[in-house]
Amino acid sequence: MYLEEEISETEIYGKVESIIKKGGYLLSIVCSDERALGEDFVIRYFFREEGIKVLKLCVGTKFPSITSLCPAAKNYEREIRDMFGLVPEGHPDSRSLMLYPENWDPSIHPLRKDYDGKKPEFKKYGIYRYKEVFGEGINKVLVGPIHAGIIEPGHFRFSLAGEAILQLEIRHFWKHRGVEKVCEGKNPEEALRIVSRISGDNAVNISLAYLNAVETLLGIKLSQRVSYLRCVLAELERIWNHVRDLGWLFMDIGFPLPAQHLFSIQEQLMRLNKVITGHRFMFDAFSIGGVNVKIEDEEKRLIDKMLTLVEKETKEVERFAIETPSVRDRFETTGRIFRKTAMELSLCGVCARASGLKRDTRVELPYLAYKDFDVNVPISEQGDVMARFMIRVEEIYQSVNLIRGFLENLPNDNAEKQNLLFPYSWSVGNAETPRGNAFFFVMLDEKGNIYRLKYTDPSFRNWPAIQYAVLGDIIADFPLVNKSMNLSYSGNDL
Amino acid sequence: MFFLLKRSFRVKTEDLKVKHKKVISLFIREVDTGSCNACEIEVANLNNPYYDVERFGIKFVASPKHADVLLITGCVTRNMLIPMIKAYENAPAPKFVLTVGDCTAECPYFKDSYAVEGPVSKHLPVHVHVPGCPPEPAQVIEGLLKLSHFADKDL
Repeated sequence: MYLEEEISETEIYGKVESIIKKGGYLLSIVCSDERALGEDFVIRYFFREEGIKVLKLCVGTKFPSITSLCPAAKNYEREIRDMFGLVPEGHPDSRSLMLYPENWDPSIHPLRKDYDGKKPEFKKYGIYRYKEVFGEGINKVLVGPIHAGIIEPGHFRFSLAGEAILQLEIRHFWKHRGVEKVCEGKNPEEALRIVSRISGDNAVNISLAYLNAVETLLGIKLSQRVSYLRCVLAELERIWNHVRDLGWLFMDIGFPLPAQHLFSIQEQLMRLNKVITGHRFMFDAFSIGGVNVKIEDEEKRLIDKMLTLVEKETKEVERFAIETPSVRDRFETTGRIFRKTAMELSLCGVCARASGLKRDTRVELPYLAYKDFDVNVPISEQGDVMARFMIRVEEIYQSVNLIRGFLENLPNDNAEKQNLLFPYSWSVGNAETPRGNAFFFVMLDEKGNIYRLKYTDPSFRNWPAIQYAVLGDIIADFPLVNKSMNLSYSGNDL
Repeated sequence: MFFLLKRSFRVKTEDLKVKHKKVISLFIREVDTGSCNACEIEVANLNNPYYDVERFGIKFVASPKHADVLLITGCVTRNMLIPMIKAYENAPAPKFVLTVGDCTAECPYFKDSYAVEGPVSKHLPVHVHVPGCPPEPAQVIEGLLKLSHFADKDL
């Protein structure tokens, strides 16, 4: 449980300012409708500051926007306006975020508890105004939502001066499925199945963040063995994600040979996943308090063989990238995110580490077996595509060592089951996915079902950064910058 | 350097449950209408050396205007409904629809959501469906070959 500090609307600016001055940053903003519990709408601000600092604000119909102080808050506040109908006062952007005026009645707010579940008629209720860029010789390139390649939908609007990108505007949430509402009323085990389908390629790590929150609420103590095995799966997922991402980077600069080479390693890693968990993406490998995985001596040998291969091949790819001038020419100085931008947008994961911020949930808020192991956080100051490439490479080596460490020290113990329930109390869970920090807020009702669940994907935090990363680059570099950050659309859109 | 492909792992034509007829090739436009991205990854894996779908004359193209087949994944969110229908309208006839993954049909997890307008068959004619959460690449290839038989008959 975390300490909440209840604040009033007038105090919030001072509090947030002092947290940011001390180097704290925003993890998430969670709104919940607690009118049935004798409160009002409650907005909780989660900041990372030696642990987690929680500011609680009770609001009626409007609340003060902190976007001018903390730009990272921008999209959270737009989301609260869509989902709860609370107005952020002083917010620079009055457009809707997740619910499109093209098909949704803006007076209906689905996360309110009094929403009856009826969908409004499918018709146009308003228009979405894009930003306009004027000037002589300015071209516009509109891409998406369905765009080239086998990729998820998103709409990108480039304004170009010659070939250089002057402005990029992104519109997301095409894939908004209403995950948070779907989870409400489900029991934690059912919700786990849904949660692992938020973003398929990070299913394991996202589930870990969720389990972290739920198991705290239910008072479940894990055995050491379960916590080690869970970390093995988490690191295996990190490896296959990073291997694939490196492959796509080569694909986007027209080097299919190393790319296909990496894809074939990815394929072997996914087949290994199937051997140990029965599923190529390791879906449904976890249950509340447990893990369904088969790791005996034979599987250990298989994993070890695969890790040796991954290590060797990654070294080869690393050398190839460093020694090939045409690769360096495309990777270096492309898509730079400066440290200041990264701080203001409170980035996480590879993007933050490539811009010189030492942010890794495994170190900052250690969980499961990471408490017993040292995780080195690779850092780069460059902030360009090359930096993100090298950080992924370093993390692959790191994950290989971690898995070896977990498997060598695999404990054999059983925890006695406890089951406690504190109704209407809440908990948060954090985990480091291959993309960055996954954050869960979970509140259970008196029957132990989900009352409110909020998930913040690393992609939700990192997507705005791409609009700054591409400035001044040519449009042909955009796919490369995009892939180097490799953000999830489905995790962002929920 | 770079010689990793293990021949024995490669999916062979004779192991597939559906026979490959060497008469028709398919150009595919992939449309994601709200999946969890696992289906996208498996479809993208069709191009890796283990599956190498181009040996069947199957190719992924950039625009629906170049496509014979729309390969649809996901549960059809409210926001993606119109783009999906527009993509279908823009594909030249004769055109076929292949749905991949459980979300496109029964949608076990999200069907009750306020933001979901599925299944696909409510809005478009579906010719072949590949079940699975997500289906493995070999199953997707089988679905594509089944569709090519279908298309062959139709032309």
